[in-house]
Amino acid sequence: MSIDESRRGFLTRSGIGLGSLGLLYLMGREPAFGTIPSASANPLAPKQPPLPAHARNVILIFLQGGASHLDTFDPKPVLSRLDGQPVPASFRPESLNLQFTNASEAKLMASRFAFKKYGQSGLELSDLFQSLGQHADDLAVVRSCYHESFIHGPALNLLYNGSLLVGHPSIGSWVLYGLGSVSDSLPAFIVMSDGGVSGRNSKSFSSGYLPAIYQGTMMRTEGSPIMNLTRPASIDSSEQRLMLDQIRDWNQQYSAEREDDSRLAAHIANYELAFRMQMAGPELIDIAKEPESVRKLYCLDDEVAGKFGRMCLMSRRMVERGVRFVQLISTDWDGHVECDRNHLENSRKIDRPVAGLLADLKQRGLLKSTLIVIAGEFGRTPIMQGTRGRDHHPYGFSVCMAGGGVTGGKVIGATDELGFRPIQDPLHVHDVHATMLALLGLDHRKLTYFFQGRTRRLTDVGGDKEFSARLLQA
Amino acid sequence: MVLPLAKARFGPARSLLLVLSTHWLLLAGPTELETSARMIIEKHCLACHGAAKMSGLDLREKEAMLSGGRRGPSLKPGNAADSPLYQAAAHIGELKMPPGKESLSDEDLKSLKQWIDAGAPWSSEAAAKHSEPAWWSFRTPRKPSVPKAGDAEWTGNPIDAFVAAKLEEKGLRHAPPAGRRTLIRRAYFDLIGLPPSPEDVEKFVHDTSPGAYAKLIEDLLASPRYGERWARHWLDVVRYSDSGGFETDIYYPNAWRYRDYVIKSFTEDKPYDRFVQEQVAGDELWSDNIDLQGTYQVDPAKLAHLEAWIGTGLYTLGPELHESNMNIPKLVYEQLTDAADTTGSVFLGLTMGCARCHDHKFDPLPQRDYYRLQAVFAPSHPEDTTVVPRHYLEDYRQSYTKLMVVSEARAKCLLFERKVTDRVTERLKAKYSKEVVTAFEVPEDKRSAKEEELAAPLTKEVKTIKLEQEFTAEERAEHLHLLEQIGKTVLDLPEKDASQNIPYDGLMEVPAASVLVHYPPELVPEVHVLGRGDLSRELDRVGPGIPGILDDGTIRFTQQVAPETIATNRRKLALWLTRPDHPLTARVIVNRIWMWHFGKGIVSTPNDFGRQGQMPSHPELLDWLATEFVDRGWSIKELHRMIMLSNTYQQASTVGGENNLKTDPENRYLWRMNRARLEGEELWDAIHSVSGTLNLKMGGHPVAPPLADDEWSAVGSRGQWPVAADPTEKNRRGIYILNRRNFSYPMLQAFDNPDNAVSCPERDITTVAPQALWLLNNNVAFEQAQEFAGRLVKYAGAEPAHWIERAWRLALDRSPTAMERTKALEMLDALTKTSAVGHIPDKMPASLSALPPARAAALSKLCLSLFNLQEFMYVD
Repeated sequence: MSIDESRRGFLTRSGIGLGSLGLLYLMGREPAFGTIPSASANPLAPKQPPLPAHARNVILIFLQGGASHLDTFDPKPVLSRLDGQPVPASFRPESLNLQFTNASEAKLMASRFAFKKYGQSGLELSDLFQSLGQHADDLAVVRSCYHESFIHGPALNLLYNGSLLVGHPSIGSWVLYGLGSVSDSLPAFIVMSDGGVSGRNSKSFSSGYLPAIYQGTMMRTEGSPIMNLTRPASIDSSEQRLMLDQIRDWNQQYSAEREDDSRLAAHIANYELAFRMQMAGPELIDIAKEPESVRKLYCLDDEVAGKFGRMCLMSRRMVERGVRFVQLISTDWDGHVECDRNHLENSRKIDRPVAGLLADLKQRGLLKSTLIVIAGEFGRTPIMQGTRGRDHHPYGFSVCMAGGGVTGGKVIGATDELGFRPIQDPLHVHDVHATMLALLGLDHRKLTYFFQGRTRRLTDVGGDKEFSARLLQA
Repeated sequence: MVLPLAKARFGPARSLLLVLSTHWLLLAGPTELETSARMIIEKHCLACHGAAKMSGLDLREKEAMLSGGRRGPSLKPGNAADSPLYQAAAHIGELKMPPGKESLSDEDLKSLKQWIDAGAPWSSEAAAKHSEPAWWSFRTPRKPSVPKAGDAEWTGNPIDAFVAAKLEEKGLRHAPPAGRRTLIRRAYFDLIGLPPSPEDVEKFVHDTSPGAYAKLIEDLLASPRYGERWARHWLDVVRYSDSGGFETDIYYPNAWRYRDYVIKSFTEDKPYDRFVQEQVAGDELWSDNIDLQGTYQVDPAKLAHLEAWIGTGLYTLGPELHESNMNIPKLVYEQLTDAADTTGSVFLGLTMGCARCHDHKFDPLPQRDYYRLQAVFAPSHPEDTTVVPRHYLEDYRQSYTKLMVVSEARAKCLLFERKVTDRVTERLKAKYSKEVVTAFEVPEDKRSAKEEELAAPLTKEVKTIKLEQEFTAEERAEHLHLLEQIGKTVLDLPEKDASQNIPYDGLMEVPAASVLVHYPPELVPEVHVLGRGDLSRELDRVGPGIPGILDDGTIRFTQQVAPETIATNRRKLALWLTRPDHPLTARVIVNRIWMWHFGKGIVSTPNDFGRQGQMPSHPELLDWLATEFVDRGWSIKELHRMIMLSNTYQQASTVGGENNLKTDPENRYLWRMNRARLEGEELWDAIHSVSGTLNLKMGGHPVAPPLADDEWSAVGSRGQWPVAADPTEKNRRGIYILNRRNFSYPMLQAFDNPDNAVSCPERDITTVAPQALWLLNNNVAFEQAQEFAGRLVKYAGAEPAHWIERAWRLALDRSPTAMERTKALEMLDALTKTSAVGHIPDKMPASLSALPPARAAALSKLCLSLFNLQEFMYVD
């Protein structure tokens, strides 16, 4: 890319084209794909998805640590009956490779939570998600997911990046790579975590081998989400623009001789983004003006649910403003000890806020274009570990989806009577990823990047059982 | 000093050295073929087809391969194409292995095929367990011979020969040497973390003598700034922090002594073996260090021993779940866990932590080994010890009543406040019914639920009384007087001891260090293997030991807990770690140092030399460096010299040809230098250095720079961030900034400082918009830009073109081009016009007073722009 070309790209971005696009977005009018001026020099320019798109945005709610499918989305009456019994031989306990437990010796453990039917569809959810249950007719639960790693690190990588190893781009980065950004004033991929001391996990938003411009931006959940949004008092907007134009010219001069370093292009783009964030950022994070009804909907004043509630509200505001991919991380689902207590505490943090988010999106007409995915890195064992704990279980678990064209009130796939393995429609994480991309109008087999002698993709060699058609079906 | 075990060898069976590279496959005889096959299978297959026997298949021994799993035999010796093992690995047919992971490289597949076609030789000798550990990093490195490769002119240095051999093999070509300006800037940031001054640059650029570059390196290595820069790298690895994290984030008032110890150790080029010994067992190895009695003058040898003891501070500053204090066994367990994990990651480059809960899934580290390592630390615990002579303590006692005077003055003030509160309370009571007042008068902890409810509104009112609004004029005056009295008594506290030599810490606190000490034998906690790492599931009791795979039996830990043996565990561990033939210690540190120079390690997973880690890109080079390092007395500065004097290091970082980029886009084989983005501390230091404000004071308590309002919003309470009173303190180097586990200084966090919960082997480098926002809008950035502007005016007088010249030289180490000069002057004029209409900072440094305010403001804004240049924050 020559300097001239790339400069033209930035002028396009700073010019009226995308500015007005952002405005359209705010006004709730969806810019038709294909009407966007092409700006090939800008790697974040919005791209028309090659296939019919149902979703434009994604909110991935990640239950880090691994939520038990048996206590949330996958009722198992037979497991309740066999509570405390050894695993019947027909379930081949000897072939289950688990982190801490030996399935041949351990005892089955029923869920302590009652399941109820919700909505017209009668979708069953446990008492942990009573509020979410109010949206049952919008939820599609995939009960037959699986993968092969029972260890957090590789499993997290797999869910986030489609590979057990590090160094691969996260799904948010792939989506930006495929669709670009319609928000020219906010980062297009934003991550928030409710975690404490080690809440930062850059692997979850790394751009891997994709150019650095596709990486996610972590926003704070304590205090001001974005800092330094206000210019020094003695520098006004036009002066800063003047400075930025010169900074950009000089930076382009530097990066032109180093064009293989994608960090430099990302760096330049970030300055344009930062300039606009000064306007859009304060407006984004100012939730003080939200009416009391919204504060209540998201439980903002609730001691337990308030934090995740703020994250949910922020994610709605981001989607409204065109942020393509929002990732909310709910930490601490790793219920090795007293899984019931652990999950109860966690559900108190997220159930009402997530339900509030769905209600709010729906009411604003945003749910149909926003894909919500609720998933952890694996499920948990039907057998008991230690004191009412459950071990990691990647061989069969649930993922819940809503919005973005998904017709709710349905269940896809099934695990066996005890919840060990899929017996119907086994779907690998690659298939889930392929499906998410499909709903966004992207073909997982064609969304590729050539790196180190190989054409790479999010779904590696998998994803053949992409199931978006079933989600869309009424 | 005599270290009895330091010369012990690892045992005789070390004759077979594998040259770990890829071209050895080409000349592979049967043994090498077999070994390579073993390694490939071990790396890619055994996680599932080892002890786990997934699908019934066990690939650990040939016999088991032949009998196969559920799909039948996996191996047909002599026919790779027909062997399911090869078919699956090569993705021929339906079964593709390993699932969901990187498939095997073409090279691996080729050697696997060769091995099977050769009849899959599997010698019983190699199979005889542990005569030689199978995994490369568990075998003692032997110094490989330096290859003959590349053009002689380029490969003068052995490092270059190893690199050139690999480049040749891969069909890559090295880059041309970097220019002089690039080279000096690179060397400065690399060794001292600061930019060179314009004068340094000119001197170096014009010094054409052959030894100029070597002399530059020597000067930088001799600078105390070097210790500050390289200590920061080490602090990442040892998860350094000034507080414990979690909810309470308890403060570690003495952690900085360990930080200063690290700075001093690097500055003095303390041999790495000694550095390790001090941190693991400084107290046990040099145990007479506590005798500081008798005189103000302490024997320097004893001070050196005290320093060694402070090294054990490493084990006192990990994350601490303070609430665990309620449960001592839990607290002890958390500390032992941190000690074992940290030792594994930092010194051994092994992820020991996995074995806390189960046998390591990928490395030969049974759970028992993990707890044996914990048991090494079990007799020890962190404690604060004074670091001053006995006389000093006597002085302290002499002055102690002055502290009591402060306390009494405070009590007097509080009593006065209570009196006023009581008066107001009486007034408030009058507003409530008798029933409420009666309930309220029951002491709070004795109230029934009903009383609680009744009393609630009045209690709330009383608790929110604003004394300031209640004082009468006389009371206000009295209150002020009492506050003043407190202030006076505080000021009356001595700042130094009676000898006037040693300053107290804070308000007359005795200087202390946090170090490891020993329990009395009867209190040493027992260590058990814990089922799934769960404290409530104690299995066998274990004594101290080192990981079995690395244990050749020459080190014996005493299993008995007795007064005479209690202080020998860590000593033995330390001496074992620093044996010259230790397979990991030297490799791990050499790899780290390499990574900090090149941005990427020879092993790209510096904390994981196990099977889950990456294989070295240059195995022979790593072993050559490791053995050479030990031969040269474990000197880190020697290692810097070797590396920085190589042509590999001095290459340009710009592209060296399309083919290179295509073949090796990640520059794994070092066909050029890697471009580095400044780390957060470097950027902080560079901004202050260029602005001429950098305060080079070394050491001492961490500094809390002032925070902006939005930054304060993320701090738990103001008391957690004690802002420095002295304005020059905020300009200290980044390494001295207060580093709490629950609150990182936001600038450093924005620029990727590590999460210090566990050892951080390698910093992430992100490129995100919040970084731009800091550099454009943060008040520190703009304040420093104004200082920078003032510095230009002071140096270059009234001529704008001279300011521009100087600015470029200070910030970018070069003159501006003619075009840049013109543009900068245009920008300056434009900004002068806009600044004149009301955009002038309220306060500007005195150095700018010579200019008209609009001009001064414009120049400051230009300077701020320079901080935002890629050329400023990247090093070629």
